[in-house]
Amino acid sequence: MLTPRENSIEAHGLVRDFKKGPRAVDGIDLHVDPGEIFGFLGPNGAGKSTTVHMLTTLLPPTAGTATVAGYDVVEEGPQVRKAIGAALQEAALDPYLTGREHLRLQATMHGITGEERKRRSNELLTRVGLTEAADRKIRGYSGGMKRRLDLALALVHRPRILFLDEPTTGLDIQSRTALWQEVGRLAKEDGVTVFLTTQYLEEADVLADRVGIIDHGHIVAQGTPEQLKAEISRSTVEAVPADLEQKGAVAAVLERFGTPTTGFGPESVAVQLAASDGDLAQIVRALDAEKVRISNLQIHEPTLDDVFLAKTGRHLEGAGEEEEQEEEEAAAL
Amino acid sequence: MREIYNVAKGVAWRQAHIFFTNPSFLLPSLLFPLFFFTAFVGGLSRIRDVPGFDFPLGYTAFQFVFVLLQSAAFSGVFTGFGIARDWESGFMRRLMLAAPNRVGIVLGYAIAGLVRWITVIVVVTGVAFAAQMKIGGGGVDLFALYTLGFLLSIVGTLWSAGVAMRLRTQQAFPVIQMPVFILLFFAPVYVPLGLLQGWLHGVARVNPITPLLEEGRGLISGSPDKTLLAFGILFALLGGFAIWAIRGLWRAEAAG
Repeated sequence: MLTPRENSIEAHGLVRDFKKGPRAVDGIDLHVDPGEIFGFLGPNGAGKSTTVHMLTTLLPPTAGTATVAGYDVVEEGPQVRKAIGAALQEAALDPYLTGREHLRLQATMHGITGEERKRRSNELLTRVGLTEAADRKIRGYSGGMKRRLDLALALVHRPRILFLDEPTTGLDIQSRTALWQEVGRLAKEDGVTVFLTTQYLEEADVLADRVGIIDHGHIVAQGTPEQLKAEISRSTVEAVPADLEQKGAVAAVLERFGTPTTGFGPESVAVQLAASDGDLAQIVRALDAEKVRISNLQIHEPTLDDVFLAKTGRHLEGAGEEEEQEEEEAAAL
Repeated sequence: MREIYNVAKGVAWRQAHIFFTNPSFLLPSLLFPLFFFTAFVGGLSRIRDVPGFDFPLGYTAFQFVFVLLQSAAFSGVFTGFGIARDWESGFMRRLMLAAPNRVGIVLGYAIAGLVRWITVIVVVTGVAFAAQMKIGGGGVDLFALYTLGFLLSIVGTLWSAGVAMRLRTQQAFPVIQMPVFILLFFAPVYVPLGLLQGWLHGVARVNPITPLLEEGRGLISGSPDKTLLAFGILFALLGGFAIWAIRGLWRAEAAG
């Protein structure tokens, strides 16, 4: 029996080196509270999966310590594995087994047998919407169905902590939304702590209570999405004049509230506000006072990509590809 | 212990289920030893007339013992192929994550290998009796004969598990298979040891499979004379390859 301990995750100075390879994880410190959804955000090759592998006891750390559910990942691996569920990046399923048979295997390995196993399997199949496909071989499943089955398998033994490694990569928007809802429900209703890696900004923003941003094996920022955005970025106001000849006048008004910025449409004028809580009403009054007609006016909140940009000097989207390209070029030399 | 049992039960169930429900796994396992048995017994039966061939029960029983041990060893080899496949497909990660005690994974594969061998040998035995194989030994002798195969199957699984856990790719197949194949066929397969000559005789004399084969043939004819040596070799191999397999598992854990 497990002794009840906190459903938290702690890591101090966690390092993983690979032979003939770069240092994949370089001394990360993190803390995830019980019942929290922690989003681990970063581009491809940043060290997200390696971190998950260490925390789930699949890979021993080269240095540093980590505890999951109160158990040391190196010294108390069996206890960690009993407390956690994990759905890894590649949903490794057996093409010769059906969905229900996968659940049977997983349940048996966790000591759940007989009627309890059948009941739990049916419950999970219903929850992930795979009841009809349950007795079909996996080779006929779509990517989304495999992901949902993977999630069901991770939940068979009612884990207290759930690791999801890029769970929505390659999924269509419907499957993605359904998975988000289920993860949110697990945390809120069942009190499961969720450690979720993703390279999707929206996913981290929508799902995570707190976010850790990792790049080149280092955590470059940690906090709630709101905190991170407030620390780093300011809101942007975009205005589209009704008469394009008034574009200069609009720019002159907006520049009173912040610094000009680009990245919007050719008809737009945009400024990044000086204060994070820019008052849109004040801007409207100023435009009205100058008798400038506006066809569209909107305020853009800062995104996690702005945070990533501020911390690393690169945009998150495409950062992984850039690194892969650099590695290929270096290898070619 | 309960955790090891649960994990072993799950792994063994999966392997056995796939084996019995997929002809592509079941048929080669059955046909391979049956082919050897029928080919050797049918094509080489006149060997019993060679001067110096002193096995009293005829060539069918003589070859049956070889096929019994060969199928046992190869059930372990095929199990090793499954382990290597699971590493390459990533499925082993699922097992490693779900297993509180990972020794149960190796045990589960070993049990599945035994189930595979028992299935094969039941069919081969049936075919041997249909071919009017003579038996000289009693119930205890036959029990000991099948125990030889039982233990050799576990040895085969532990050997191949150790290789598969170290290489973690399907490229492990020849590394698993070749040593077993060489050991089996450099034993006195077709004629008794006394009829082998030259370097073949020298190799067969030091081959650990030779005493197993001679003891098996002694048991089926009711005159075993190498019982201690044969079972001693098997238990030594079991101990050695159990360490080999567990260390392979540790190495796989360290590699991730």
